[in-house]
Amino acid sequence: MTHLPDPAKKPPPKVEIWKLTKRFGSFTALDEVSFKIAPGRFHALLGENGAGKSTLVKCLMGTYRADGGSVVLDAAEVEISSPRAAQRLGLGMVYQHFTLVPSMTVAENLVLGDPDLTQVIDWPAQRASLEAFLADMPFRLDLDRLVSSLSAGEKQKLEILKQLRLGSRLLILDEPTSVLTPDEADQILGLMRRLTDEGRISVVLISHKLREVEAYADEVTVLRQGKLVGQGRVADLSRDDMVRMMVGDEPPAQVSARESSGEGAVMLDVQALCVDNDKGLPAVRDLDLQVRAGEIVGVAGISGNGQTEFVEVLAGQRAIAGGQPVVAGEPYHRTRTEMRARGIKLLPEAPLQNACVRGMSVAENLSLRRFDEAPMSRAGFWLNRRAMRARATELIAQFRVKTQGPDAPIETLSGGNVQRTVLARELADGANLLIVQNPCFGLDLKAVAEIRQRIVEARNGGTAVLLLSEDLDEILELSDRILVMSEGRIVYETTRDAARVQDIGRHMAQEGA
Amino acid sequence: MPPPGLLNSLEAVTINVAAFLITMALFGVYVASLGHNPLDVYYVLWLGSFARQISVESTLTNAAPLMLTALCTAIPARAGLLVIGGEGALVVGGVATVLAGVALSGAPFLLGVAVMALAGALAGGLWIGFAGALRQYRGVNETISTLLLNYIAIAVMYHLITGPIRDWDRVLKTSSWSIPQELRVGPLPFIDVHWGLATGVVICLILWIIMRRTTFGFGVDILGGNPRAAQMAGLPINRMVVLCCFIGGAGAGLAGSFEVMAVHGFASESLAVGFGYAGILVAFLSRQNPAAIIVLAILLGGVTASGGLLQRRFDLPDATTQVLQGVLFLVVLASNAAYGRLSLFQPAAWRTT
Amino acid sequence: MEGTDISWWSVLIAVIGGAIRVSTPYLFVSLGETITEKSGRVNLGLEGVLVMGAMSGYATAVLTGEPWLGVLVAGCAGALLSLVHALVCNLPRVNDIAVGIALFIFGTGLAFFLGKPFINPSAPRLPDIDLGWWSASPQVQSALKINMLFVIGFVLALGLAWALKTTRWGLVLRTVGDSEEAAQALGYNIARVRTLGTVAGGFLSGVGGSYLSLYYPGTWNEGLSSGQGLMAVALVIFARWDPIRCFYASLLFGGATALGPALQTVGITANYYLYGAAPYFLTLALLIYSSSPKRALEGAPGEVSINR
Repeated sequence: MTHLPDPAKKPPPKVEIWKLTKRFGSFTALDEVSFKIAPGRFHALLGENGAGKSTLVKCLMGTYRADGGSVVLDAAEVEISSPRAAQRLGLGMVYQHFTLVPSMTVAENLVLGDPDLTQVIDWPAQRASLEAFLADMPFRLDLDRLVSSLSAGEKQKLEILKQLRLGSRLLILDEPTSVLTPDEADQILGLMRRLTDEGRISVVLISHKLREVEAYADEVTVLRQGKLVGQGRVADLSRDDMVRMMVGDEPPAQVSARESSGEGAVMLDVQALCVDNDKGLPAVRDLDLQVRAGEIVGVAGISGNGQTEFVEVLAGQRAIAGGQPVVAGEPYHRTRTEMRARGIKLLPEAPLQNACVRGMSVAENLSLRRFDEAPMSRAGFWLNRRAMRARATELIAQFRVKTQGPDAPIETLSGGNVQRTVLARELADGANLLIVQNPCFGLDLKAVAEIRQRIVEARNGGTAVLLLSEDLDEILELSDRILVMSEGRIVYETTRDAARVQDIGRHMAQEGA
Repeated sequence: MPPPGLLNSLEAVTINVAAFLITMALFGVYVASLGHNPLDVYYVLWLGSFARQISVESTLTNAAPLMLTALCTAIPARAGLLVIGGEGALVVGGVATVLAGVALSGAPFLLGVAVMALAGALAGGLWIGFAGALRQYRGVNETISTLLLNYIAIAVMYHLITGPIRDWDRVLKTSSWSIPQELRVGPLPFIDVHWGLATGVVICLILWIIMRRTTFGFGVDILGGNPRAAQMAGLPINRMVVLCCFIGGAGAGLAGSFEVMAVHGFASESLAVGFGYAGILVAFLSRQNPAAIIVLAILLGGVTASGGLLQRRFDLPDATTQVLQGVLFLVVLASNAAYGRLSLFQPAAWRTT
Repeated sequence: MEGTDISWWSVLIAVIGGAIRVSTPYLFVSLGETITEKSGRVNLGLEGVLVMGAMSGYATAVLTGEPWLGVLVAGCAGALLSLVHALVCNLPRVNDIAVGIALFIFGTGLAFFLGKPFINPSAPRLPDIDLGWWSASPQVQSALKINMLFVIGFVLALGLAWALKTTRWGLVLRTVGDSEEAAQALGYNIARVRTLGTVAGGFLSGVGGSYLSLYYPGTWNEGLSSGQGLMAVALVIFARWDPIRCFYASLLFGGATALGPALQTVGITANYYLYGAAPYFLTLALLIYSSSPKRALEGAPGEVSINR
């Protein structure tokens, strides 16, 4: 029934990207970047957040129109005007966020992208064709399962199958492993490697994980601030070379010294905590955890193992299914009174969505914790906006928030400055317990150093800090004690000095008992 | 550079005025297609709404319930809910007022009126507060539940006025018992508009101050702006939502009280004539600002008031004003797309570089 | 005692007959709303669309003497009115629920406005199919007089269920309604699919309206609809966005609506208005029962805003 090109039969194209440029207003996101991908190669695109990797591939995929330069496929210059045009040329992309339809089955998702799909779908013929297609693939998925019931790794596999089914011969993978366990990541990348070795496809892997690049890629192109800063065969480059290309010659910022602190009192005590996710399925299961004053407890783990739900419980954004967190020796019901009296503060991930009111000004957002107290209100009832502004001006200076002023809407601030604003609000009156999740996600190095510095300073001042992060380096750098969370449980614990990356990584991948 | 708050207000005023003009232009094209001169129609609209004392009085009499029913959508909307139950809250408020009034026969005027108004407000408040509680504690979508509650309220009223509280002596119109004549509320001094107008204006102003100047209003704005931030700040969200719904419903219930106390004297189908639905439009036009509600309720009241004259002069059906309201509503919603697009109102345009 | 038995029996027959008679508009609006919501939008204005369909269908039948032409015109009028909804919602930052309320006010107003001259003349009715020929009981005969539109609606429900699974159009519609990200990645024009989904939904609702004016009750006046269009949204939630369940739900709601008049036929007139509100009570009760503060409604398309 279908006449899809068999990836095995047509070889991958020879790709030449020449002086590709993309501007947004006065900002040049991509500045004359050129490189080549020979058929059957595994090419890595390396760079920090904001280096221009996504812009580059969006130009390749027809999501953006490039302002200059050209793309040459098999010696013919091509114009890629839309994602559909890219698809017809055999370019396929697996996005960081899944682009599957959750309420549909695997089979339905696989036939969806087929440009030759008939108006009335001949399901028996489609199924036969899908079975034949899967038989030729190195991994299988049950065609009748609903996508919403698949694990992250299975979804990623389905995304790849979808592209291969479409006949994509150059596959672009955008940080494909960020939601996978190390095992799943190795499986997926190993598979890609196999397909390139067999000459069936070429791969462009966007990543900032050097380990993956070293293990799987043939060649690497490094971008920094929209410019091409390095290129070469992976075999010829050391890890240090690649890091230097990525971050430039700036030395990585040093986080302030940790003062040793004695055994503090237990600030946060969580026992047998159970939490359900949005679908009503258990996300956190019998979680046990303690944080003492003056220590940073780092919780490592692959995203989607219950960390977000756990933080949401502590933030009062999610109901508890079982168990009762105890803060400073008393049950914590997540009321405003308790948060204030016990100094419970939070810096959740994506703070603009989780901890700010978009339409409100910086000053108003800075007042969220204390607007009902003197001097910002009289008798807890009348607002004093002047006092709000005055305090905001102070905090903006103290935490070096870059803003048009206290009256600017918070949504006009950059990510780093939103982070600084929330941190200013949470730390301004001192904190006894600070809960932080992925605080440096997507920030530039300077902001990263500053925010980590503030967290360590809070710890040195006696705050109990619970840090949940997907960035293992961040955990290793900041934590006094390290826990690993997997499938909603703490599965491993170690101290700062005894921590070994291999052990932590192995437990991150561990299936729940 | 002008303060951002002022820019926002100016932007809203400009866009709303433009939406009103576009609506009038569309309406003009339409009446022209029916063979009338649009300018004549505009003139009659003006004549019927604001040109003469009698038309102003009629406009303001229509505006009074609109102000109060608009609150039923506007106040919950500030907390992030889309409540459309003003019609039902007005009806239950009216019925409660009748019951209170009948029970109070012989009571002193001020006490009687106060208790009737309270009964109406309480009934409307509980009616919409129930929808708020259903949403917070059961996850029931408040738009749909309030819509259903409108129909239920009207059915309950019909049930009562055709049986249990029917005034069998009134033959021409099915209606409830009447409240005692001595408890009827009269007109304001100097102008023949009932006290509901003054009450509406005062309540809107009080709520405007509460929403802008108090910690409660600020908390509600946090909740409406981002419920997750409100949760993180530990605000008592459930109570706030139910309270906002109660306040809004109380407004609409009070509108029902005045319709009974000042206009009809009894409950009948005349209570459910669409003030609740027009109030939704007023709330959207005012962008949930209680002070702006006063102005826009008067404007909409004018449109409604001129309907009768329009009907007589041009032989247009009485649904004309409803069509006009509908078009205005659609144009106003479409004009939402213009916010943030007019560079004159962006702080950036005023920045001197 | 025997007499009571017989009257209860006739109430049951009347409710069943009423369910069949009254359910058709429910069926059409709920199928229409299902299509619209599957595309990711809510059209709360179907009441306006329904009334507009009723008016235009009636007017066409009066003017041409062709009731079936009236049905077609009603569908087109509904589609046109829903196009307004779709186009306004395609603009950025526009709340589809609010537009629905506006469309409700506008559509009913427009129908009353344009329909004024048609209140008095009478239009030819749509013909019956007599399925009760085998029975000697006139009650059974009258209960089983079935209108063609009911049959069409039933076939349509089956067809829609089939089409959502086995046509390209169905898959595209569901994709756009369930995940904008997926639709974008596949290069679908989201606004266009939603516009088509809303217009198709409007067409069906318009047809549902023509049933009101051309068959049962079979007149045109301002009190014709008792909120069937408004109930569509609740009905679709109850039917969990499934066309076949829409059919059952419509019968149930039709039966609830028919309860008051059925009791009236056996002389029970007390609480008539309360029985009339049975569908609203039923909907509210079902919503309270099936909602949960913790999770989204089961089966809801991911992009539908009513799904909190």
